[in-house]
Amino acid sequence: MEIFKIAVTGNVGAGKTTFIRTISETKVVDTERRATDETSLLKENTTVAFDFGRITLNPEQVLYMYGTPGQSRFDFMWEIVINQVEAYVLLVAAHRPEDFRGARRILTFINQRVQIPMIIGLTHTDCEGAWQKEDIILALGFSANKECPPVVQVNPENPGSVAQSLVVLLEELMSVSVV
Amino acid sequence: MAQASMLTEVVQKFVTATPDIQGAALVTPDGLSLTSVLPGSMDEERTSAMSAAMLSLGERIGQELSRGIVDRIVIEGEKGYSVMVSCGDDAVLLVLAAKEAKQGLLFLEIKRILKDLAPMVS
Repeated sequence: MEIFKIAVTGNVGAGKTTFIRTISETKVVDTERRATDETSLLKENTTVAFDFGRITLNPEQVLYMYGTPGQSRFDFMWEIVINQVEAYVLLVAAHRPEDFRGARRILTFINQRVQIPMIIGLTHTDCEGAWQKEDIILALGFSANKECPPVVQVNPENPGSVAQSLVVLLEELMSVSVV
Repeated sequence: MAQASMLTEVVQKFVTATPDIQGAALVTPDGLSLTSVLPGSMDEERTSAMSAAMLSLGERIGQELSRGIVDRIVIEGEKGYSVMVSCGDDAVLLVLAAKEAKQGLLFLEIKRILKDLAPMVS
């Protein structure tokens, strides 16, 4: 059995835990605790260690998904998780431009440690105040001369949408492993 | 919730009055510091987040592997112990102790301070 391991990362409230819960075929191992910081304005609970879920891709291949906490005080968990995986998806809530800087910080943090395939998943794109894809990419520090990873729109609550984004990530992973 | 200064007083007293205890921190279950008395080299924010993550993961493992309610998480290193325990529903206590500490005594002291702290944070 071949195992692929990926991370789901991003800011608080981007939809990481939901993403994994929506698609995992096993009961997700989550480590949620009641939020007491500014996170509590967004949601009741927050991940403090990691989430874990899995999907069987076919009889020979299985995908392990690890979700990280969003707050930077848990960056030691980002480090632990990111060193275990082969690719990752960075979830960015399109309607919270104040979080783009945080997403960029996560990107930098990861880039300083590993160079692995990744995609950007834009969530909350149908919400009021959502930025356009092109503008978000710029805000994340990508431009024409800096190669931009694949960007997908994803609804973490919709299994089809989550599956689609995983296909893009796996394609990205395969294209790199072939070279 | 009690005033931070009262919590600090209790934790401070615990650390200075108990032999072999080198530091302690009281944090929220989502990893924010309530009060701490830690060796100078340790970053309070980071230590708080780690304690919460570790306890939560340990409790999850206890549950998943049918170990019942988890009393404590102990990390035993060559230089000493880190012990993480729930302090009621609203806090996590981290205690750092020297290698020389007697384990039974350490757990007993922790139980005692939990009795003092738990009503203050609920």
